[in-house]
Amino acid sequence: MRTRVLSTRVLLTCAAIGVVTGLFGGIAGWVTPVVIVSAPFVYGLVLGVHVLPGIIAQEAIRLPWVALMTHVMAALVASALAPQWAFRFLGTALLFGGIQEVVAALTRYRVWAPWRFFISAVIIGILVAVVVAFVAHMATLAPWAQVAYIAISILGPVLWTAVGLWIGVGLRRAGVTRR
Amino acid sequence: MTITDATRDPYAGTNSGSPRRFLYELNPLAKFAAPLPALVLLIFVRDFATPLAFIALAYAVLLAGARMSRLLAAILFVALPATVVLLGTGFALWTNPELVRNTTPLLQIGAWTLYSGAVELGLATGIRLAAIVALALMPGLTTAGPDIARSMVQQLRVPYRIGYTALAAFRFVPRFRHELDVIRQAHRVRASNDSRGPFAAIARGTGYIVPLLAGAIRHAERVALAMDSRAFGAHPDRTERYLVPFRRRDSVFVIAFWLITAALLWVFFPWGLS
Amino acid sequence: MTEPARDETADAAPTRTALARVEHLAVRHDGAPLDTPADVTFTVLPGEVVLVLGPSGSGKSTLALTLNGLIPQELPAKTSGHVEIAGYNAAETPVSTLSQHVGMVFQDPDTQLVTGTLLDEVAFGPENLRLPVAEVLERAETALRRMSLWDRRHENPDVLSGGGRQRLAIAAAIAMGSPLIVLDEPTANLDPQGIEDVYAALAELASDPERGILLVEHNLDAAIAIATRVVVIDQLGRLVADGSIDAILRGRAAELQDLGVWLPTSALAALRLRRAGYSLDPLPLTPAELTTALDASPPPADWRPTPLVHVTSRDRMPQPVLSATNLHVRRGRTEVLHGIDLEIQPGDFVAIVGGNGAGKTTLLQALSGVIPPPRGSAFIDGQDITRLGRKRVHERVGFVFQNPEHQFIAHTVFDELAHGIRRSRFDEHEVRERVDEMLRRFGLTDKAEAHPFHLSGGQKRRLSVGTALISGAGVLALDEPTFGQDRARADELLKLLRDLNRDGTTIVIVTHDMQLVTEYAHRTVVMRDGRVAAVGATEEIFADTALVESAGLRLPPLRQALQGVTRHPELLRATRLDNLPGSAQ
Ligand SMILES: Nc1ncnc2c1ncn2[C@@H]1O[C@H](COP(=O)(O)OP(=O)(O)OP(=O)(O)O)[C@@H](O)[C@H]1O
Ligand SMILES: Nc1ncnc2c1ncn2[C@@H]1O[C@H](COP(=O)(O)OP(=O)(O)OP(=O)(O)O)[C@@H](O)[C@H]1O
Ligand SMILES: [Mg+2]
Ligand SMILES: [Mg+2]
Repeated sequence: MRTRVLSTRVLLTCAAIGVVTGLFGGIAGWVTPVVIVSAPFVYGLVLGVHVLPGIIAQEAIRLPWVALMTHVMAALVASALAPQWAFRFLGTALLFGGIQEVVAALTRYRVWAPWRFFISAVIIGILVAVVVAFVAHMATLAPWAQVAYIAISILGPVLWTAVGLWIGVGLRRAGVTRR
Repeated sequence: MTITDATRDPYAGTNSGSPRRFLYELNPLAKFAAPLPALVLLIFVRDFATPLAFIALAYAVLLAGARMSRLLAAILFVALPATVVLLGTGFALWTNPELVRNTTPLLQIGAWTLYSGAVELGLATGIRLAAIVALALMPGLTTAGPDIARSMVQQLRVPYRIGYTALAAFRFVPRFRHELDVIRQAHRVRASNDSRGPFAAIARGTGYIVPLLAGAIRHAERVALAMDSRAFGAHPDRTERYLVPFRRRDSVFVIAFWLITAALLWVFFPWGLS
Repeated sequence: MTEPARDETADAAPTRTALARVEHLAVRHDGAPLDTPADVTFTVLPGEVVLVLGPSGSGKSTLALTLNGLIPQELPAKTSGHVEIAGYNAAETPVSTLSQHVGMVFQDPDTQLVTGTLLDEVAFGPENLRLPVAEVLERAETALRRMSLWDRRHENPDVLSGGGRQRLAIAAAIAMGSPLIVLDEPTANLDPQGIEDVYAALAELASDPERGILLVEHNLDAAIAIATRVVVIDQLGRLVADGSIDAILRGRAAELQDLGVWLPTSALAALRLRRAGYSLDPLPLTPAELTTALDASPPPADWRPTPLVHVTSRDRMPQPVLSATNLHVRRGRTEVLHGIDLEIQPGDFVAIVGGNGAGKTTLLQALSGVIPPPRGSAFIDGQDITRLGRKRVHERVGFVFQNPEHQFIAHTVFDELAHGIRRSRFDEHEVRERVDEMLRRFGLTDKAEAHPFHLSGGQKRRLSVGTALISGAGVLALDEPTFGQDRARADELLKLLRDLNRDGTTIVIVTHDMQLVTEYAHRTVVMRDGRVAAVGATEEIFADTALVESAGLRLPPLRQALQGVTRHPELLRATRLDNLPGSAQ
């Protein structure tokens, strides 16, 4: 019998998590311009929501590739809801999912303690800060706003990681996840 | 919008628009690859002319190649211009006054002054973001999700099991949306207080997500059983009735777009300015 | 895994090769304490329609999944015994190979659809087998034509009715080329019209002598028409009977009833009438057989007319608890309810019935304030709902959603019940008292600390009813509470509702199950196209065949049987088993 890395069950579970988090990502897409107009330096909080697919997937199914897989599904669904951000969704999916996979791989898919998730969150936060700084030309902001911006960019993914872990706990309590 | 090979599959209906609306007929990967260099480079651009040129390019391609729907019209002629103006003013307000002190003051309220330089910087960012969005609309509005999945399988050699997982995911969307509506209704009935405000809203939202995910995962597991019982994943490949070919016109489109991108950047060469 | 010698059980018709041969099968799910099923042996031969019966939890669905190898290959479980499909050992042959010999149809049509059009859906399986395009299309066409869906091949499966989608799932199974089709409660989620559609399609399939069907079904009224053999499993998952319909269902009906197996309504009625002295031999199983048998039977010797149970709440005319006057409701851009006038009296048990899309859900939600009705058209205790405030409305009217999991918000059963009363006037001591009382009443005391999602289906349902009642709601509104549940569990729920109703709670339910309506509801509201087509005592409504059928409904089996009886006028008006002479047990 063939042994496959990911069974159909695991793949579709990723798809389900991806669709649910992708719905949230789509909402974040529509919120983005509002935030950029009113308070660009809190953008990190909005962008941070895109860490959710990988966190929830890894919490629910502790297997290689599920984070990346779920991220891509979420990006496809979010792109259908907010097509103007299709590139951004796919880009963040590959980037965030990739980082989460790499961190999980470095711990050889054995360590699933919360601190591990927060490591990927901080890495993602720093990357987000740099990229968004270029896109939105953050260099022109007032100094205090720049500081706030960098802090919030890192805080955003960390906060959403905490939310993701909390959802994972809820799912485990509800008996949906597999051991 | 599905691209089909009519000679091999007489039953597959093709419902693409007139042949003039060429965007629908292009391979999704071509539509994503064409604007990619421009998108990346726009991140580092700081002038007006370059993003404006790319906006013009994106509008030209969309107007020529996409069906004019109410959504497209609203985006192109209302939403995007409005966003530029709003972003411009927004960024102008947040700009560091030290950077623009030498420019003309436009408006003075108390100790605070709005300089023309701030407006310029703000508008430049607004137009740049608009250009990025306009370029993304080309694939975003003219590609059916399933076709992206298919071309990932057929051209990028992504395993078809993953491609079909994506197809199944698209079917989940309406179901989970409806489910979310019902859960919200049910929780509203149960909630004994209707407190307002962002924190109450977040608390409510997180209350929905566990039942939603729980239902979603169980649904997915059942669908997986149904797919397995129809031999899904039995072989390394499967018969494809829908071909999303990468034809010569796709290459032409991509190369032409890249050449135009290079030409525009050559002409405006935006990096000397900022 | 033990492999018993092949020819050990070559009992029936050795000339035909069996489509499926199951020998001493036992399955233990990972983490489960017992084997379900525990010991089952039977065969399915070409041309047979085998009906598998057994109480809930006896392992019928598990058995179905072992037939194409999903258990133990895809789901974590230990099996022993032997399952042989067309000569292959099902535990070890790849699922994809087995899928060409066994087609599966599951309970929920939505979970079986993968693609965007009917044609793609049916082609999906053959494509996975790498058949050439021409053959894929040929198989798809044949399968769709057999299920009369060919003309709709380019449509999205979502626009089909439930029955249509289930026929699509059957088409997808036969397109795999499998001679054996296994169906696990294929009609549990369907309305009367959908059930009829699916069984018409199955009857057509069953007429093919090469094909076999294995059917797990609680709705015996429909299944009995096509089944040729019955296999019965008991609560512990052991085989207790295997034989023809005649031998098992007619001959051992009382024994099956004791096992907790649901019988056809006509058989239940006949058993009861037998106890009252009618001579009904052999036991009738379908409405038509019951009609014929009754007309052949002399009246019982000690015959005395049983009075019909009349609804008392209709005689008093107090203020209605729920009422609508000229209620118009829009959903999206269309008006869904066109001027409803309705009054629901305190203490009543009301069923709202009607075809799909008739506006039942909308009416129930508007009456109980789940969606806001327009000002001045819906009232609770005579007060306008829109003026009451959401909190007061929900304290007065408990709404129970179709899927109990949707409305759970706490992490323990106790907190779930306490949630509704904690925020209002009670202190913690009183809360505890009331919650404990509610737990006791619904038999959940030992589950107080469990997570609501960990309860069994029936327990979840009881908990959701409890949460609706605990804040003192005198009215309970339930939208299709029996959807997706087997008849036994549906019956349990309705009995609970009847007890609540006897204690004074007003009950309003929406349901598609006509036999349950007639068994339990005092009054029935028939909806058609957003209007009330009729309101009246349930007996009167179901005595009017033309009305019922014009609303897209079907008569419940008991009415179907009794309306044609000429010899026993005393039975003519009975609509529920309770109305019949004879004792319940
Ligand atoms: N995946 C699983 N993991 C653990 N236990 C399971 C699993 N699936 C089913 N069971 C248990 O196995 C037993 C048999 O379940 P099964 O669904 O086969 O019963 P059934 O006869 O089909 O019941 P019903 O009539 O309610 O559908 C039940 O006690 C159930 O709780
Ligand atoms: N949220 C909505 N938006 C738009 N139309 C709706 C909505 N909900 C229901 N409808 C439409 O209103 C009509 C009545 O719907 P309703 O759900 O009340 O019917 P129902 O009698 O409960 O049907 P069913 O038996 O299928 O549950 C249907 O035609 C339906 O399509
Ligand atoms: Mg079952
Ligand atoms: Mg309804």
